[in-house]
Amino acid sequence: MNKVTTLLLAGALVGGISFEAQAADTFKLAITGPFSGGSAPMGGSMRDGAKLAVAQINEQGGFEVGGHKMRVDIIERDDEAKNERGALIAQELASLEGLSAVIGSVNTGVVLAGDKFLQEKKVVKIITPAAGSASMTQWVNPPMQDLYMFRFAAADGIQSAMVVEEAGRLKFTKVAVLHDATNYGVSGRDDLTRRIQAGGKITIVATEKFNIGDKDMSAQLLRAKGAGAEAVLIWGIGPELAAVANDMAKIGFKVPLIGGWTLSMSNFIDNAGKNGDGAMMPQTFIEESVTKVSTAFIESYHKAYGVSRIPSPVSAAQGYDAVLLLASAVKQAGSTDPTKIRDALEDLREPVAGVIATWNKPYSKWDVAHPETHEAFRRENVIMGMVSNGHVVFANPDDRAHLAKH
Amino acid sequence: MQWMIIGQMAVSGAAMGFVYALVAYGFQMTYATSKSINFGQGELVMVSAFISLSASDMGLPYGLVVPVGLLSGAALGLFVERVAVRFALAQKGEGWILMTIIVGLFAVSAAENIWGKDERPFPTPISRESLDLGGGISVTPVELSVAFGVVLVMVLVEIFRRRTLLGKAVDAVSADRDAAELMGISATSAIAISYALSGAVAALAGILVAPITSVGPTMAATLILKAFSVAVVAGLQSGSGVAVVGISLGVLESLASFYLGSGWRETPGLVLLILALALRPNGIFGTATIRKV
Amino acid sequence: MSKRLVTEAGAFALMAMMPLFFGGNAYGMGLLTLVTIYAIALIGLDVTVGYLGQVNLGQAAFMALGAYAAGLATMSLGWSMAPALLAAVLVGLIAGAFLALPALRLEGPQFALATLSFASLVVILLNELESVTNGAQGLSLVRPLLFGVKLGPTGFYWTCLGLLALLWLGMRNLLSSHWGRSFEALRDSPIATDAVGLSVYGRKVAAFALGSSLGALAGGLYAFDFQYLQPDGFRYDQMVILLLGVVLGGRKSLWGAFLGAGLIVLLPNLLSSRPVFETIAAVGLLVSLVAAWQRRGDPGGLPFQAVAPVVATGLMVLGGFFVQSLEDWRKAVFALILFAVVVGLPEGVMGYVGRTLARLFRVRRQPLPEPADLNDVLPIEADRGAVRLAVRGLSCRFGGLIALAELDLEVQTGEIHGLIGPNGSGKSTAINVISGLYPAAAGVVVLDGKVLPGGSLTRAARAGIARTFQNLQLFLELTALENVMVALRHVYRLPLPLIMAGFGRREEAAARAEALALLTLVGLGGYAGVKAADLPYGTQRFLEIARALACRPRLLILDEPAAGLSSPDIKALVGIMGRIHERRIPVILIEHHMDIVARLCDRVTVLDGGKVIASGTPEEIQNHPEVIRAYLGTIAGDRASAAVTEAQPC
Repeated sequence: MNKVTTLLLAGALVGGISFEAQAADTFKLAITGPFSGGSAPMGGSMRDGAKLAVAQINEQGGFEVGGHKMRVDIIERDDEAKNERGALIAQELASLEGLSAVIGSVNTGVVLAGDKFLQEKKVVKIITPAAGSASMTQWVNPPMQDLYMFRFAAADGIQSAMVVEEAGRLKFTKVAVLHDATNYGVSGRDDLTRRIQAGGKITIVATEKFNIGDKDMSAQLLRAKGAGAEAVLIWGIGPELAAVANDMAKIGFKVPLIGGWTLSMSNFIDNAGKNGDGAMMPQTFIEESVTKVSTAFIESYHKAYGVSRIPSPVSAAQGYDAVLLLASAVKQAGSTDPTKIRDALEDLREPVAGVIATWNKPYSKWDVAHPETHEAFRRENVIMGMVSNGHVVFANPDDRAHLAKH
Repeated sequence: MQWMIIGQMAVSGAAMGFVYALVAYGFQMTYATSKSINFGQGELVMVSAFISLSASDMGLPYGLVVPVGLLSGAALGLFVERVAVRFALAQKGEGWILMTIIVGLFAVSAAENIWGKDERPFPTPISRESLDLGGGISVTPVELSVAFGVVLVMVLVEIFRRRTLLGKAVDAVSADRDAAELMGISATSAIAISYALSGAVAALAGILVAPITSVGPTMAATLILKAFSVAVVAGLQSGSGVAVVGISLGVLESLASFYLGSGWRETPGLVLLILALALRPNGIFGTATIRKV
Repeated sequence: MSKRLVTEAGAFALMAMMPLFFGGNAYGMGLLTLVTIYAIALIGLDVTVGYLGQVNLGQAAFMALGAYAAGLATMSLGWSMAPALLAAVLVGLIAGAFLALPALRLEGPQFALATLSFASLVVILLNELESVTNGAQGLSLVRPLLFGVKLGPTGFYWTCLGLLALLWLGMRNLLSSHWGRSFEALRDSPIATDAVGLSVYGRKVAAFALGSSLGALAGGLYAFDFQYLQPDGFRYDQMVILLLGVVLGGRKSLWGAFLGAGLIVLLPNLLSSRPVFETIAAVGLLVSLVAAWQRRGDPGGLPFQAVAPVVATGLMVLGGFFVQSLEDWRKAVFALILFAVVVGLPEGVMGYVGRTLARLFRVRRQPLPEPADLNDVLPIEADRGAVRLAVRGLSCRFGGLIALAELDLEVQTGEIHGLIGPNGSGKSTAINVISGLYPAAAGVVVLDGKVLPGGSLTRAARAGIARTFQNLQLFLELTALENVMVALRHVYRLPLPLIMAGFGRREEAAARAEALALLTLVGLGGYAGVKAADLPYGTQRFLEIARALACRPRLLILDEPAAGLSSPDIKALVGIMGRIHERRIPVILIEHHMDIVARLCDRVTVLDGGKVIASGTPEEIQNHPEVIRAYLGTIAGDRASAAVTEAQPC
């Protein structure tokens, strides 16, 4: 009996693995990201946004490939924000029969650990919402000539430039830089420091770090306050950002908080409450009914997932638009072959009306000397958002008007 | 300026220290009766906090939310004891370590699916506005409520152990399990009670700390390692010694963070911890046992 | 070639052929490589968790240290793979010894915490030393050449597998040697290990460092496998997963470590696939239902062990029908599977498989060697009548209680010296102080003309004092033969590396022969292969005597060897004592049976209230008025009257 069950188990396992690799007449799209653990709000929103787009496309019959429609089949993988798991998932996806494209990744470390396997197997990947600079610059040195990786997120470089610019616009001369101890936070700190030094008008009076899970930020803030900082520039994720905002109020350190897009995460806004009001961050998407497309998107997201607010609107919108871009590229390529899809993405002829913007040739032919060829977001796609009464609004009313016109 | 900062750091650190102490106190309770602790105690804190949050979302007033949370904590404690500990203890090994870790793993995943992955604020009638203690040092009533709750619970548990028959029975099992069983006390029940109490204490820690930390599936992940350190360094049978060690650790971390740089926050605590263990293996407030042959 | 070796060679050959099936599949190769890497780490971890019986959470940190050492050696110093891995191993060894020195004085939760704190410190250091490690941004590296060869996925897998095979052999040599045995002895009875003079602490440190270096080696391979490192990958989650692997696979087993590695690598990853999940759930439910069915007749209803796996797997099957997104529940499913396995197979998968296989194939015991010549094992003492032990003014007190006051005692070679007295008279305290278990408050113990350093069982044992215990202190999980072999310190001389290389077999054979000779001396020749726990009570007492004799004692202390013995056993004991007497080994005998004392002892010292009240030949003692008063003075206890009546016939 026992031997039989052991054999059964082993056989079933092997069978199960090979069963997964069956081919069918569907378009295989993988969505990866952290769907559990601390980064899950971003990963989950990105996935749900992408799945929303896929559901809408499947309702119409699927992706258009060479004149006929192909249903889109989604393969979900939770990378738990762990590099090891991310690398294994990338290996798994790379060896999946008939997989055409991957969308996802939140954590820069996971991108660095895994993407090389996808690139090696020539699988198209649209990275979103991971913003760390290294995700793309890893292909510059050593140079990769023939790149299948695209990014669909406002790179940290753009964001940090905007944050520094904003600090300059508000006439601050002394700022504190706070960041979390993850890859994201540390590379954000480096970007900020570089921009500030290049600008020359602002000095950094304190650089402080905090760990994921830290709740008591008073030491860092007291040092910043003691150094006379007029603003806090910050790179971290929701829960810790909220802790910073709350402790700033506690110790009576009333200066503006300006940071990365993560300041728009619902877990920052909720947990900081009114202490979070006034925080400013670069945004690619604001959950506010501005255009018809964005109104429809917000409504259908709320309906599909039974929520009244998107946990991470930026991630959701980027996931949604990434699928639209891919659909358009597949249509243009007329094939599920990753190389053809890649070529199409590099030269999208039709503009794509997404919820963030109408994408007009977002990418161009990969050039090692100019990694922005595979970056969709330019400075003009990004606006400054501000927390106000539990919502992110346009920090600059002109931006809203500008967007509404399109 | 300098003294004000040190004072402020001490106050902020002590608030976290009280929470470490409270969870550590829960560790001690089960260790006393059964020589086992719940490595999933952090998940217990988290699930109880979520249940309290749900109770609050349903419109229950805070006065009812707290007992609901405590009861659910006690029930969860009993569940952990029944599912993960009793069987492992019967096997006379350290199986309980893994079993409780596994139950914790399950709890995190279940909580993510039931309550969502996001961190959420915890409503409390206690004000978060900071009070000036003079000299520029400020503290929030929420932080004060943590300290107050910790002291209250320690007093209540002490009264329970000294004044009630049930408490004395639990104490007897802690002192000598075999002798207690010969006197007709069921060690199994005493262990179950200690787990229930420990669960209730964890739930209280969750309710008290949630307004400061917010409620999320990973809210107690770091807390629990600190609490474990506090319990062992104080001595797993040291009683209220955990309060002293807990507060000291909290203050030390705060000060280290300020003077050594925030990245090194935990380093002095960890080094002192290893030293304390090497010098006093039974804990600072523990007592050594004599070898018998 | 033994059956075991054939199985192992077969398994490794099969593993080596895997690339033929998976060669083109990066995922399959990636998983296989990771399994071998984790197996190396788990074999190292099993040294502390399995053999030392301690919960070690530090292995993740050693993996981290090894990974960064290898990575930095490659990237900063340009080393190739072999020296880089060597550097990793060295870092692991040094750091392991560094942690072990304080940590191994601790046990239980304290040890767990010490390793946990060390692991946290390592992660902080790697994060903060940005100029060296690149901190949280991570270290990207390129897999270096191995002896000038560039390794692809398959080549690298073979390298890992080859290393695993080498370590497998080395660790098997080590753990089946005196080393492995002394760790098990330590786990069963630390006091007895001290009493046979093993300085286990040093060995524990060495073993811990060795286990840690395996973790570091695994870390080095891990670095070259993923080619990207971040300190975050080695946090608490990783510590727990490694611990889970050892216990799930089965402790104290190389196969267990290997299986455990397979489980912790494959399970979380394969569970993403719905068909795999469904088969595991269905087959799991089936298996646990069958297991529960087999125990339906158990008295007191179905045990938890049978019910819990059914509930866990049942939940999985049920959940499978309701849950839309399996990926969201993957970790919960993983936890349920772990739960079912840990409850259903508490000894780990390998513990269960091992037992089943042993039942099916009846593993043949190693044949026993010829016993060695007793004259070589336990030479007859040449000098008769010389003073071997001299105790002067020995005192001991516990708080206010004076347990022993100014004891003077002399024992000569060839003499059996009785130590008697009513309960609480200080007999046990006296020998506990002489044997170093308790420190003396005053006075000296002189053995062979040299003053013994007090307060250390080990040092007294090394000086030549061997003892037995009133409450048995056997190594219960070891066989009778192994119990004696543990104490044969003088036989084992080889250093650790030579043992790992497999040169320990000659010593091992010599030890077996000597141990068998001693077992025969106490009449246990026929019990050599029986586990100490399974021996009858009287026989267990004799085994302790044999073990004490294995230390080649200059002085043997027997603490109530006849306590609780049946009369045939007492006869056997008298015979054993006679044979010891023939070899002129000086003995201190504590005994309540006066007939035995009268028959065996050359001289007797009587204690009462911590003081000597009489001493002389048994005849003199029996008629000594002080002695009679001491015993009759406590007549209320029937022991006293019994003692006196027993004393009559001889």
